[in-house]
Amino acid sequence: MSNRRSRSRQMGVSRINDDQIADLVSKLQQIIPHNIHATCSNKVSASRVLQETCTYIRSLHREVDDLSERLSELLQSTDTNSAEAAIIRSLFM
Amino acid sequence: MSSASQQPTSINPIHLKNQFALRFVRALNTIKNQKGSAHDTQMHCRSRRVKIAAYTAMASVVGSRRSWSRAVLWKIRNRSRNQDLLRNKIMTNHHRRRRHAKLCMKRRNRNSIREDVYLNPFRYSVQESKLRKMVPGGRNMDSWCLGDEIADYIKCLAAQVEVMQTLVDLYTVT
Repeated sequence: MSNRRSRSRQMGVSRINDDQIADLVSKLQQIIPHNIHATCSNKVSASRVLQETCTYIRSLHREVDDLSERLSELLQSTDTNSAEAAIIRSLFM
Repeated sequence: MSSASQQPTSINPIHLKNQFALRFVRALNTIKNQKGSAHDTQMHCRSRRVKIAAYTAMASVVGSRRSWSRAVLWKIRNRSRNQDLLRNKIMTNHHRRRRHAKLCMKRRNRNSIREDVYLNPFRYSVQESKLRKMVPGGRNMDSWCLGDEIADYIKCLAAQVEVMQTLVDLYTVT
């Protein structure tokens, strides 16, 4: 019974078709940093682009984890006060 | 529910980074001023709190314009609500057992969905489902919006990583 429920749920979400794939691939090719190993930049297979997108998002998540760990360590060690936060804020604005 | 009349416009990336940095630094100050008891457990808790603060800050800058940001905010609010319930022990043992059973059921369903995907006739279904798992709220997203959402999510994630890296460099120098 759970199989039937999960399958009907899958059919309710429209699966991606070829036009959407082309659109997606063109968008992603602009965003993802170009790999050095990419031989022919014009005709990259769609599945490769999708794969690289997954890898890229995964690496970004890992970087966020790593950076948040370092930030939490630095937060403990440094003696920051609100004045320093104001300085940082002024640097960004 | 869907804002079909107004297309979500892409934010100026500099504005995005500034707004994110502002909110994130504020959250960091709050985390820093919280007093803690044990040192080691505090380390792990703190990095988790920093990570959640980063994702929340980015999602709140984007706001309700994007489906992924709505999903992130909803997930975080839900998780904190559940944690409060557990902490206040409003959940009795009976509720805890039912929640545990529901989570096991979800895990079982997730495994069964994996088998269905391989039998699917659509060409890129495997990679597509992997992508959907990466993007928050991607499982129930319409395939027409999926491309835009993924592109926007990646841009915001990259900006978030850049700002966090800048902050780490700032804090290490001083």
